[in-house]
Amino acid sequence: MAKRKGNLLVSLAKEECKLEMTPMIDVTFLLLIFFMCTLKFKTLEGKLAAFLPKDVGVNTSQAEPKEKIEIRMDVKNPGNKVRPGAGRTPYTKDDEDKRLRYVYDDSRVITYSIGAKKTTDLKEVETTLRAFYKQDSTRPATIDPRKDIINSDVVGLLDVALAIGFTDITFVGSYEK
Amino acid sequence: MNLQKHDAETEMQMDMTPMIDVVFLLIIFFMVITDLTQQDLEDLQLPLAQQASPDKPKADEWRPIINLKHTGEMIIKRNKYFDPEVNTGPKKYEDLRTQLLSMANRMKKAPLAEGSTKMVPDEPLMIRADESTAFRYVQDIMEQCGDQTISIWKLQLAVSVPDPNAK
Repeated sequence: MAKRKGNLLVSLAKEECKLEMTPMIDVTFLLLIFFMCTLKFKTLEGKLAAFLPKDVGVNTSQAEPKEKIEIRMDVKNPGNKVRPGAGRTPYTKDDEDKRLRYVYDDSRVITYSIGAKKTTDLKEVETTLRAFYKQDSTRPATIDPRKDIINSDVVGLLDVALAIGFTDITFVGSYEK
Repeated sequence: MNLQKHDAETEMQMDMTPMIDVVFLLIIFFMVITDLTQQDLEDLQLPLAQQASPDKPKADEWRPIINLKHTGEMIIKRNKYFDPEVNTGPKKYEDLRTQLLSMANRMKKAPLAEGSTKMVPDEPLMIRADESTAFRYVQDIMEQCGDQTISIWKLQLAVSVPDPNAK
């Protein structure tokens, strides 16, 4: 009796051992490739809305046009061009020929002029704009970027203005060549 | 007769593995070739802003996007339409204008002002400019947009959002 049972177990074990792994590996690899292809390292992106002056023809409304807050931006110190990344190595003529990316280092200084007030500190700009906003929250603002101002300078200012609550922000179109 | 019976039994066991293999391969193939959504977006370092609204386009949505590299090159859907080193002279923005015009024609229209019969594009144009790009290039695009024939007046500046997991 015992001997017969043993034989049965041996034969069962022999049969179950034949597991075909190849298709499973095939499918696993395929799934791996599939997820590698579909996986995207998405960078967080956002957008800031801005409007260009719309040509509305003759203004027939009775409302008195509001005086705009004009913020003029000038480069006081352009700063040094450096290669982006941790090393911050200087940007050479060779890099420029290859049209490699660059950023400006911390020595870059921008002068912001709001009316008669001139400052190089973005915090001070914020205080001034906040005071204007408290007087009249619907007052439009105009950003006037002058020579050599770069995109991140403007976006930095725009960000401050939007944080305060300004909704009507326009750009001055003409550029002083 | 015995042989026929045996054959019928073995044919019932259909091996599904190769079929699944092929189906997966076809799925991957089509997913890779139809992934055109990223074509709009160049690899740029966008300026950082806190107040940005998140940008979540639908997969099949058409969006007018101009990429602006730090050198001033303007790229739409992987094609360059302006390069300050190549395009010079009074007609340097001719290629870009053609593109802007076709974008403006594709956009939804709305009346210019209340009661006006003139229709202008009512969708935003996204300008994706690198953080080191001279702003005069952005202003040049704005100037072209403001042209009577194009009259795109809604703009979006693409920015990068600070990583919420950082700090």
